[in-house]
Amino acid sequence: VAGTASAIAPPAAAPRLGGWRLPIDGSIVFIYALVLLVGVGAGMYSERFRDPNNLTNVLRQTIVLGLLAIGQSLVILAGGIDMSVALIARLSTLVVAVLFGNNEALIVPLLAVGLAIGAALGLINGFIITRVYASPFIVTFGMFSILSGISLAIASGPVGKIPPAYLTLYDASLGPLPVSVVVMALIWGVVWMVTTRTRFGRALFAVGGSQRVARLSAINVPRTLIGAYVLSGLFAAAGGLFILARTGVGDPKMAEGLDFQSIVAVALGGMSLSGGRGSILGTLGGVLLLGVVANMFNILQVDSFFQQLILGLVVLITVATYRTGKTT
Amino acid sequence: VSAAAFPSARVLRSTGPSPAFVRAVDLAGQWAAPVALLVVLLAAAVFVPKFYEPGNLTVVAIQAAVLGIVAVGQMLVLLVAGLDLSVNAVLGLGAVIVISNQQGFSVVTVLEALAIAVGVGLANGLLVAWRKVPPFIATFGMLIFVGGARLAYTHGQASGNVPGWLRVVGIGQLGPLPNATLTWLVILALTGGILLFTRYGRWIYAVGANYEAARYAGVPTREVVVACYVACSVLALVAGLVLSGYIGYVDQRLGTDFNVNSIAAAIVGGTTFSGGRGNPLGTAAGAILLSVLLDLVVVAGIPINWQLAVQGLVLVLATAIQGMRGHLLGR
Repeated sequence: VAGTASAIAPPAAAPRLGGWRLPIDGSIVFIYALVLLVGVGAGMYSERFRDPNNLTNVLRQTIVLGLLAIGQSLVILAGGIDMSVALIARLSTLVVAVLFGNNEALIVPLLAVGLAIGAALGLINGFIITRVYASPFIVTFGMFSILSGISLAIASGPVGKIPPAYLTLYDASLGPLPVSVVVMALIWGVVWMVTTRTRFGRALFAVGGSQRVARLSAINVPRTLIGAYVLSGLFAAAGGLFILARTGVGDPKMAEGLDFQSIVAVALGGMSLSGGRGSILGTLGGVLLLGVVANMFNILQVDSFFQQLILGLVVLITVATYRTGKTT
Repeated sequence: VSAAAFPSARVLRSTGPSPAFVRAVDLAGQWAAPVALLVVLLAAAVFVPKFYEPGNLTVVAIQAAVLGIVAVGQMLVLLVAGLDLSVNAVLGLGAVIVISNQQGFSVVTVLEALAIAVGVGLANGLLVAWRKVPPFIATFGMLIFVGGARLAYTHGQASGNVPGWLRVVGIGQLGPLPNATLTWLVILALTGGILLFTRYGRWIYAVGANYEAARYAGVPTREVVVACYVACSVLALVAGLVLSGYIGYVDQRLGTDFNVNSIAAAIVGGTTFSGGRGNPLGTAAGAILLSVLLDLVVVAGIPINWQLAVQGLVLVLATAIQGMRGHLLGR
């Protein structure tokens, strides 16, 4: 169905060389308008929400979801999906937590180990999906089960002694802003540049648009897909390691539900869930919206049961207004 | 749009996999479940003889029946190239409604649960067939929504008043066979009959194999897809009732693993996720295989969390085989 030549044309949002045109797209305008609306509404309603400390907190709380959603976006852009992000985050972090043993000297090597585990798990996903033509959804869903079994084998209760120095990853601040927020902003910028201005980014769009057309255009489809899954695993592990810096303990239930939330954020941001269309900036909007809403839930002390109901409603509404077809 | 439009197509095809390889993968895809089941049963006889104690066999039979009922529904949806992730939510919500409301037999609550199951199936089907939403997104949104509704309804509390008639369905026996297994066999026979001998069955396969071709041939494609989702939800409800009758109470964890397991059972039983291929007997073998494996983890004394790894591994391996098969047959 999608085998038209237009599917591999660079996305409308891609700026020309040297140009800095922002991707003004209906869905992106919509999501940021919504963030603004909900944010301003919450600010007028609640004094606690508009407190500057709380606002930086909202930003800091969106980092974990942001990291997972970035990985998810790359995979979805390439026409795949990664249901295992939350479990990749959990497993790599649990391994790191167990190995730590309150040893400050291990911080850098263990960060590398955690990220490597994430990348390796992503590689396995990508390898299975590209080599045997298996459905990405079901493969990563199965991986979800396998990894939850393994992570329960590693720990069924809180584990690990984390050196206090590691917690500065979360706490350190640069003037009024936490360092982590600044770094995260840089990451969003870099990923946006990569998706819109590099060969790999173009390849992601092309493969997501139509694998056949991408292949005929001399794009290495398996390598692009594997690259996307590896990056997804890497970002997921980074998200998990950041959770570890916040909680200071390896929690066998951590990152629960973040796989779903990352997909919701991507969908809210207007990215086509069948691949090939969308912008990472939309995902950022989706993440911010979920962050603001979650913060308001906390302030208003909404029952967690109703939180899930509302999240489901949001998903259904997003889904029902979903753009059909691939041509704009 | 075939590769034949390109001059190099003939060259590519001649260097493709040999027919023998294609046939081997096809056979492996069709027979994976029965063969693996035989191997596992033999291995169990050697390494875990406790598995064959009558009490344990009854447990496996009931668990296979519950999973089998869900898997039949999942297979129907997979046949039309769909997927239903909301089964475990429907399974749980249906059971909660019937059980928390009554002591004896009340037609009203059963109808209520049935209406909700049909409603969820309709919503899934409409989203997929009319709005063209990818099935896993539509049904996944439904999973979160129905799961949330169930939590809002029960506030996470368990309820234990399973009515007598459900207990009979869940743990009663007719001769050597548990009633749950009988229920499953009846559902299998009905589904098999419809799929093999009626126009509706052929419609389902036609829609799954080639949606556009089926539409041009006058098949009401969208209605067929919706019907499959409705059937899947209703079967999930039936399974939920049988399961709660067997366990004797309903809690938040009821049915948690049925999404993975029903998909794994259907796919390992020879159903492809690209639609159009699969049959109830293979799915039944898949459900038995999975139930036996999960039970062996318990009987062999392995920590229970490895059940998760086993079901994931079966799903990934089965998906790998069926993916290869679908790719090779679709060339």
